Amino acid sequence: MASVKLTKVQKIYDNNVVAVHDFDLDIKDKEFVVFVGPSGCGKSTTLRMIAGLEEISGGTVEIDGEVVNDLQPKDRGIAMVFQNYALYPHMTVYDNIAFSLRLQKVPEDVIYEKVTHAADILGITQYLMRKPRALSGGQRQRVAIGRAMVRDSKVFLMDEPLSNLDAKLRNQMRAEIILLIVIMKDGYIMQVGTPEECFDMPANLFVAEFIGAPKMNIMKTQLLKENGKYFVTPFGAKIEVTGEKGRILAEKNTPAGEIILGVRPEHMVLADANDPSAIPATLEVNEMMGSELHLHVFTEDGTRLIVRVPTIGLSSEERESLVNGKKMAVSFEGKVMHFFNPETEENMLL
Amino acid sequence: MNNKTAEIDRQKRSIGLKASARISNTIIYILLVIISFIWLLPFIFIVLQSFRCEVTGPVGYVTPKVWGLDNYKRLLECNFKTWYLNTFIIALCVAVLQTIIVLCMSYTLSRFRFKMRGGLMRFMLILGMFPGMLTMIILYRVLKDLGLTQANAVPGLILVYVASSGMGYYVSKGFFDTIPKSLDEAARVDGATRAQVLTKIILPLAKPIVIYTILTAFMAPWGDFVFARYIAFGTSSGYNVAVGMFDWLSKDQIGSWYTTFCAGGVIVALPVTILFMCLQKYYVEGVTGGAVKG
Repeated sequence: MASVKLTKVQKIYDNNVVAVHDFDLDIKDKEFVVFVGPSGCGKSTTLRMIAGLEEISGGTVEIDGEVVNDLQPKDRGIAMVFQNYALYPHMTVYDNIAFSLRLQKVPEDVIYEKVTHAADILGITQYLMRKPRALSGGQRQRVAIGRAMVRDSKVFLMDEPLSNLDAKLRNQMRAEIILLIVIMKDGYIMQVGTPEECFDMPANLFVAEFIGAPKMNIMKTQLLKENGKYFVTPFGAKIEVTGEKGRILAEKNTPAGEIILGVRPEHMVLADANDPSAIPATLEVNEMMGSELHLHVFTEDGTRLIVRVPTIGLSSEERESLVNGKKMAVSFEGKVMHFFNPETEENMLL
Repeated sequence: MNNKTAEIDRQKRSIGLKASARISNTIIYILLVIISFIWLLPFIFIVLQSFRCEVTGPVGYVTPKVWGLDNYKRLLECNFKTWYLNTFIIALCVAVLQTIIVLCMSYTLSRFRFKMRGGLMRFMLILGMFPGMLTMIILYRVLKDLGLTQANAVPGLILVYVASSGMGYYVSKGFFDTIPKSLDEAARVDGATRAQVLTKIILPLAKPIVIYTILTAFMAPWGDFVFARYIAFGTSSGYNVAVGMFDWLSKDQIGSWYTTFCAGGVIVALPVTILFMCLQKYYVEGVTGGAVKG
């Protein structure tokens, strides 16, 4: 393993489309970094620039302190698993995995050892003599991983490695392996951080909406300041900002005014209509997700909000009363809010 | 009950299908046999003539009265050997060189993006629309100045055939385009150079097209007449078979050389026929594979 450092990396295509803007990223040895973002945001392009498959229009890519901009992919010491696996269809699984070693003129007995070892780990030993077309999607993916494994490379790149695992396995893998995520949009880095950081303190509105499912609820509202305390007033309700968030607002001496307020669906609660912090709303759809309900509601001005309610806290009568069109009230606590500048959409607490 | 009748119905229908398929197949096969017979007739005729020993000129009947190998023996005694060797050298060299050039060209145009790539392809397309015959006069002058005509026609002809072969990239480029680019990229990450990508990934996957390219590259000079006659220009040692044998059909020679001509034709057709029979499977695959997917 090795460190990878990207400094002001840019990708500008011939038609002057800028795919990646001034990309700065420092990946330390043994760090596992994941790029996320909507399709077309430059994830693959960045990956391919690191791999050397795409020319770097500006900036530098360093692997282990050495600038590799002008090195061929084969000289960069990288291994890559492609989105579509890119297995060589005319070769057996064994030959696919052995391909890179044969190019390096590794002796056949060493190749045999390495290939069978990798196949053993990946559980594809019985398929070694098959051609890729006789394998299932998951098996092909394992061959592609095996091909990257035997190279003993410094940097391991994977393009959409989880896309072909089933949803359950995918979530498990995500939870187990992700150490650092890079959230990208339109070729810009939005935020770099651990999943928790990005979830708890999203750098801007985009990250806030991108991370977490269902999406964060977004409300345009006013921030009030009374006697050193901060309040928000979504849809006629008045809720005090408490906890760490309130403290940071006070420390920064944030002026009152227009803000974009974000609250995650799991932080929304059902409220008593008489409570001053209650937002009157009408239930549009009640989505049963098993252990929880996703209540899609709309407020008086038509803003749509999602409330995630654990099924376990509700009696069956309460659950049955949640029919579409029901008038109800929702609210949230003072310590779970996110504040975004309405112009820059940046997080106001950062 | 209902089930049974339905089952019987289905059987009846399937019998009907089978029967109609058999009838249409029979018609098709009869037609094909007739067509191939008509098509084969001249070949059979030539083969029969080549074994005729009683007269050397053209006659009004088909089956020889005296069978023998006299005509073939005569071939060995005349200039035919030189012509045959000339043709073989030319065709072999062109097959090798042209295949290399075409495949490299196709690979480049399929995989590399460079300035004026589109322009170059269009230029070659337009250039290819002019008949090659137009260049004959200037080519002759150039080759004459280089000393590559008449007795030196063999290297001259190789040059002529190979020179423009880069323009025949269409079919193989179309086929290469169907091979996913990510295979190249995977190979390059795996440590292959661009050349190794071509030899280890693209060519094995494009085997039918490689064979198609070799076959066409071999065939064109093997049967060429116009250029070969022009450049050899009356010097027998520079003839290829087509040019050499053509003279045997002239008014004053046909009486004594006609059956030898037929024997020569058989010998000329032999290697191409064998080549085709061996590679036919790939050839068909190649033509359709490139055309449909490209």
